[in-house]
Amino acid sequence: KLNIGVDAVQHGVEGLTYLLTESSKLMISDIDFQDSIHVLGFSDELNKLLLQLYLDNRKEIRNILGELAPKLPSYHSLEWRLDVQLASRSLRQQIKPAVTIKLHLNQNEHQTAQVLQTDPSTLLHLIQQLEQALGEMKTNHCRRIVRNMK
Amino acid sequence: QRFRFCGDLDCPDWVLAEISTLAKISSVKLKLICAQVLRDLLGEAIEYEKILKLTSDAKLESGDVKATIAVLGFILSSAAKHNVDSESLSSELQQLGLPKEHASGLCRSYEEKQSSLQDSLRACSLRLSQLGSVRWRVDYTLSSSELREVNEPLVHLTFNLRDGEPGRTAAVPVALSADKFRVLLAELKQAQALMNTLL
Repeated sequence: KLNIGVDAVQHGVEGLTYLLTESSKLMISDIDFQDSIHVLGFSDELNKLLLQLYLDNRKEIRNILGELAPKLPSYHSLEWRLDVQLASRSLRQQIKPAVTIKLHLNQNEHQTAQVLQTDPSTLLHLIQQLEQALGEMKTNHCRRIVRNMK
Repeated sequence: QRFRFCGDLDCPDWVLAEISTLAKISSVKLKLICAQVLRDLLGEAIEYEKILKLTSDAKLESGDVKATIAVLGFILSSAAKHNVDSESLSSELQQLGLPKEHASGLCRSYEEKQSSLQDSLRACSLRLSQLGSVRWRVDYTLSSSELREVNEPLVHLTFNLRDGEPGRTAAVPVALSADKFRVLLAELKQAQALMNTLL
């Protein structure tokens, strides 16, 4: 419909994509954007259109770019079970409690599950360590950093 | 304030917030919505259109309808999880501000299905793997490359295991001599006797 060769259209699309992603990535201001495309020698109307296109789509492009960063597996859900071992082949008359945990993780739409088992005292220790980690957020050091980030 | 149906913990804020939404629906319609939510919890298909029709009188938005289903699901499954009887549940819900007729309608639905709910929750508790079936075959080895006359029976067992959610099955084949098989059988019988003392 545009009456140009396939190659020209492809290069045009690629060029436009590059322009928009680089501008969004660097979060450049309107003036910087206008100065940059001025060099290309397009008409004023086209420059205005490009600027509008940039400003309208900047936020969404930044959101998509943010998701491209490499991610570690993240928490999805947790299943647990409390068992008591009463006897085994080698020893009868036991009382050995154990907690079995199935940790469901998400990584890039890929679900994995890890099965862990621990005794109650290790579990209490684990809980204590995690609560200490949460408690770190309340120290002056962390509070200062969080305040400065806002 | 501690609630038994929340496992002797405080009631979650979102549940408290949705109690007022529940009060907007008539108590008769609430009981019917409960029946639908119970179907979903028991693994049958939920009829969302019926729920939409029942909530249309109360003029709830689509977000409120979903919140209603979520809060009813929480109350019913949490009460079943902590084995709360229907009377205590009714009084606790009234303490949260649910009107008396609504609470008693909800609790009557809960009482009817309490044991089925608990059975269903028990079935989906964490289970690492499950034995599906066992197949066996007894062979008689006549001879081998090592010894001309062997003349020994051999038992082949195949355990079909079912693994968690993906519904994967694994087949574990085992071959045992007659003596080993006798030892295995004796040990398993001891384990079975122990299990029977607990039942």
